[in-house]
Amino acid sequence: MNLRTTDLPVAPPVRGRTPLVAAGFGIAAMLMYFAGIFGVYLKERAQVRSEGSSWIPDKVTIELTQPGMVIWTLLISIFVMQWAVYSIKRDDRQHALLAIGTTLVMGAMVLVQTAWHLSQTNLIADEGPTTAATLIYTIVGSYVVAIVIGMIILLLTGFRTLAGQYGSQQTDGVVAASLYWYSLVFIYFIIWIAVFIAK
Amino acid sequence: MTENQTETESNTDESASRPLELGGLAGTFGTTDHKNIGKLYIFFGLTGGLLSFVLHFLVRIERVNIGGTSILDFGSSNQFFQTWSLSRTSLLFFCVVPLILGLATYVVPLQVGAPSIAFPRAAAGAFWAWLIGIAIHVVTVFSDGGLGVPEPVTQFAQGMDPEATELSILSIAMVVIAILLASVTLITTIITQRPQGMTLFDLPLFSWSTLVATGIWILTLPIWLGNLMIAWVDFKGDDALRYGNVSNIWDQVSWLWSQPMIFAFAIPILGIAGEIIPVSANQTQRQYVFQQIGIGALGVLSFGAFAQPFFNADVGNQAVYVGMGLIIVLPVLAFFGGLLDTLAKGTPKISAQLILALISMLSLLVATSISALHVSGPALGAIQEIDSDWLGGIINWLKDLQGTVIATAVMEHALIASILASIAGLYYWSPKIFGIKMNNNVGILAGLSIFGGLLLSGGSNLINGFLDEGESVYLSNAYEGVWNQGAVEFINVLGLIGSILLIGGISLTILDLIISVTLGKGDTENAGNPWNGHTLEWATQSPPPSGNFDEPPIVHSERPLFTSGGMEQ
Repeated sequence: MNLRTTDLPVAPPVRGRTPLVAAGFGIAAMLMYFAGIFGVYLKERAQVRSEGSSWIPDKVTIELTQPGMVIWTLLISIFVMQWAVYSIKRDDRQHALLAIGTTLVMGAMVLVQTAWHLSQTNLIADEGPTTAATLIYTIVGSYVVAIVIGMIILLLTGFRTLAGQYGSQQTDGVVAASLYWYSLVFIYFIIWIAVFIAK
Repeated sequence: MTENQTETESNTDESASRPLELGGLAGTFGTTDHKNIGKLYIFFGLTGGLLSFVLHFLVRIERVNIGGTSILDFGSSNQFFQTWSLSRTSLLFFCVVPLILGLATYVVPLQVGAPSIAFPRAAAGAFWAWLIGIAIHVVTVFSDGGLGVPEPVTQFAQGMDPEATELSILSIAMVVIAILLASVTLITTIITQRPQGMTLFDLPLFSWSTLVATGIWILTLPIWLGNLMIAWVDFKGDDALRYGNVSNIWDQVSWLWSQPMIFAFAIPILGIAGEIIPVSANQTQRQYVFQQIGIGALGVLSFGAFAQPFFNADVGNQAVYVGMGLIIVLPVLAFFGGLLDTLAKGTPKISAQLILALISMLSLLVATSISALHVSGPALGAIQEIDSDWLGGIINWLKDLQGTVIATAVMEHALIASILASIAGLYYWSPKIFGIKMNNNVGILAGLSIFGGLLLSGGSNLINGFLDEGESVYLSNAYEGVWNQGAVEFINVLGLIGSILLIGGISLTILDLIISVTLGKGDTENAGNPWNGHTLEWATQSPPPSGNFDEPPIVHSERPLFTSGGMEQ
């Protein structure tokens, strides 16, 4: 059967809110995931400290240089991602792509710095496994997965922008990707304070 | 040939402009049509129900002879625990959830007048991820995996396989992620795909209950996923300390099967009954908004992610938990009262779906009542100011109910009520889904069989709870301190008969589906709108064409097909 483009059905009208609403619920699910793990972390930490023990083993030193670099990288990425939204709303695909690409690079930087930080901290080498190490690895590992998912979303958004799917008439995909990215920055801010600063 | 088929064939010009549908295996594996995905969920959900009831039967056999040797000779308490825990995980994730998702995936886009589900490829991906995940989980549990071992023993001393255990954890995580993805597609469909004129307060009750249920799942299941991931990370370490220790894994995740969280999987019962009963009575539902509030209240009161005894051992005595357990019966009672009022004012036609809807509501009401009883000890203890020995004795006796099989009775009533409601929905919407009415008498028989099974199985757990049979029946100390071992064993025989009835009921439903639908023996007359349904899904052909509606509908009431002027053609 030969199918021509004109044989295909007319696409239903795109509802602008759909990607945004789905992104909202996806972000809510991710926030609840991290809220659950943080809840366990803080509860267990309080329990250990109330018994007079130290939560992070004494021989383990958590450096703050890399987390500090990560938080600055992520804070800058907020402006870069907003630049993408600003550009796409003005049909400036070139700058939108540039901004999305820069955010992707920043995501890669976060991954590298996080991996380096974990290898330097060496949570279990000196003291053996601890519940603190388990929970920190779970939190940071989950965050790395969330960043990778964010980078995949950015990559897809970039390709779709390149293909002309997004423009001033249809910005929802880029806005949804940016919302997800902002939520990642928010989560790292909590990790930075609750895990690395407060220890 | 049905009236609807005639309509379809006479409209060849329109069908030519619809998307090309593939048949056979390519159509099954490659489908993104929400109707096909819904049917696949329902088929596998019923299959999973049969598996979980068979496992339930095996556990019940073992519980008949609690003092003596193992009847089935499971080989170890670990194997008994694997069967017990798989009966729970499969009942929830392999039966109740897919049945709800199946009906919702099929019906909700139709009820909200949408041409498709939002993100159809994500919905299809969610289904296949769920199916693969649950299949891997079942296989790994049978391969000496599972979610831990019951007693504090040396890791893998009882023949557990570490790779299979790890795969069990990861596969059930995959199932949860799939359910979350399916939930996002459904809730997005409801919020963004509604037709002109349909506000959230005009949503059909089933769609409203799906909105509430998926919302609660999105807010709670990720927390459960977090528990799993913590256990997995610890398990992967060289020496699991706490979370990944095999004797702790189940304790961390068991809150999903406990009150109040278990009621999050019962929310759609209200929606299904809220569709069927007014239609059967040929009446509009009075106080519609209050019915919606009732469903919303059940959703709020079922948010149970905070009630994790592993991390908060005293949660059973805390005010929020106790309060939620006490008042959760109220929205169910009010909702059921509203439905009975509608039924009494109408001219009800007895049908399988009506009987199933009524008994599912009744079962849920019993579940929430037992939940209130379950927390009544701490509740009375909190207000105990009377210096009375007998009152203190009663309170202590009620407090001791926590940790007994009464918790199992709550779970069984809530989940089996969900199965009853799903089967009610299947009989109600079968003309829409398949273009064929399923056999009414078989439906009644199946419903009564499952209800009888629930009365015996759930009832025996309730009574044995008063006799102090421990909830963790797989533990060697579960029967220490029971009041009368002979009585407990006798009552467990009744529970065993109940599990046979459960298997019989689900088998009858599957058999009816095969005979009526697959073999085409069912009634195809007047399949378009045989019950004079009130909601939008009945405004299109049965089964609906690709794209669902020829024209986007415009509605002006929550019952557009019932109310005069409720819908613009």
